[in-house]
Amino acid sequence: METAEIAKALRQYIVERYAIPEADKDFTDDVHLFDYGYVDSFGAVDLVAFVETTFGIKVTQGDMIAYPMNTINEIAEFTSLRQKGEI
Amino acid sequence: MRDLVVALHGEPAREYLDQLRYALTFLSEDVLSCEVTEDPPQVALEFNPGTDIEAMRLRVEQLIRRYEHAKFGGKSIVYFDRRRELPVIDAWQGLLERRWVTPVGEGHVILRGVAAQLLLLVDRKVTNLFVKAFDAEPEIFPSTIKSETLHRAHHFTSFPEHMDFVSHLKQDLEVLSKFSSRCRTEGWSNALHDGNMSDHDFAISPSCCYHAYEGMEGWDLKEPGRCVTATVNCHRYEGANHRSLSRLRSFNMREVIWVGKPAWVIANRSRADELIEEWATDWELSCALESANDMFFTDDFAVKASFQRNQEAKRELRMEIPSERTSISVFSSNFHASTFSRAFGITVEGRPAVSGCLGWGGERWVFALLSQFGFDPANWPRALRTDYDRFIAGGQS
Repeated sequence: METAEIAKALRQYIVERYAIPEADKDFTDDVHLFDYGYVDSFGAVDLVAFVETTFGIKVTQGDMIAYPMNTINEIAEFTSLRQKGEI
Repeated sequence: MRDLVVALHGEPAREYLDQLRYALTFLSEDVLSCEVTEDPPQVALEFNPGTDIEAMRLRVEQLIRRYEHAKFGGKSIVYFDRRRELPVIDAWQGLLERRWVTPVGEGHVILRGVAAQLLLLVDRKVTNLFVKAFDAEPEIFPSTIKSETLHRAHHFTSFPEHMDFVSHLKQDLEVLSKFSSRCRTEGWSNALHDGNMSDHDFAISPSCCYHAYEGMEGWDLKEPGRCVTATVNCHRYEGANHRSLSRLRSFNMREVIWVGKPAWVIANRSRADELIEEWATDWELSCALESANDMFFTDDFAVKASFQRNQEAKRELRMEIPSERTSISVFSSNFHASTFSRAFGITVEGRPAVSGCLGWGGERWVFALLSQFGFDPANWPRALRTDYDRFIAGGQS
């Protein structure tokens, strides 16, 4: 699955799950999801579960430390590489 | 005699052993003694007669699973480090001998003399340095808080072991008369409460800032947001982990709390790092400001703790306590993202707000200062002594 496709699915999930208004100009694929308050620590657990079930990969604690996963683009890139078995 | 010995895998990290040691306190009320050792790596426990040992083994294994996979040290940041060699001063014994502290129950103390003055001085210092710098608005909070509020703030799903719930005798004339009468004839005992207590609608505040969020419920703040400050006498039940002034059940906490725009909260938190370093340098504290995580007491510990560390959501100023061969956290800087603003519907100019807070534990400061510098103000670092003298004289520290 390509990164852009994964990013689109992630964006859709986050917008729906956290009720982000369409007019929110801060919300981009490169915004820090946690610092900007879109996802909190409890949401992070849900987000990881969404990524694992939707994209069929495993995200370990080590992954969360080793790879930056703070933005939609960062999570999408990690997911794509993991699907391809490159990380 | 050991009733149960459970081996630990591999070469366990010290932080893991510390977490496990802390958590095992809450294993069961049937535990008589518990020892966690590095060499050999194992847990050894002794129980009350008649305890189901196999059931206890399963509980121990549950705690081991909870903590052994946490990637401690994976992301550990030291923002500044001023640690140095210090003489060993038994501050606890010295406080007792001088009657500057009187223990009045598990994790409860009365402070007086220089110990009480130091606590007030630290609070004055916070006011002069931080409250002024951030133009924090004072608020006065009750010491108890609705259980429902704590539930909405997700406290129970992270720290259930800490809670000191509040209850009262039922509004029932017979219950009240009988309780009073039996106290008079038999003396008070816990057994007199059985079946006579109300629901646990309230708890003693485990932290200061929850009141701030519930107080702003449904508010749409003006940019960049609000900064408030308050002190609360907090309670955290710590089982057998209570010790000296390092880990009290009842303690005083001062907080500075921001709720507002993300960039504003993040920038203020960075400024607070600078201020705490200035203070540490000024008073010549042996300490370090480090990334940290909370002791989440639930099976999702690893996920929450890793998240906190990776996002640098918690920083602690840890002061060395040579007599206890450890350091204690006397100050923390926390970033909650939108956890509490979402829980209480707080927005800033229409978008979800974020929050952050700074916290100072009063009694821990007193203990750390006396552990590092002793009991005679004449021997304290110059700036600390000057601030103390001015405070005693009624001036500004």
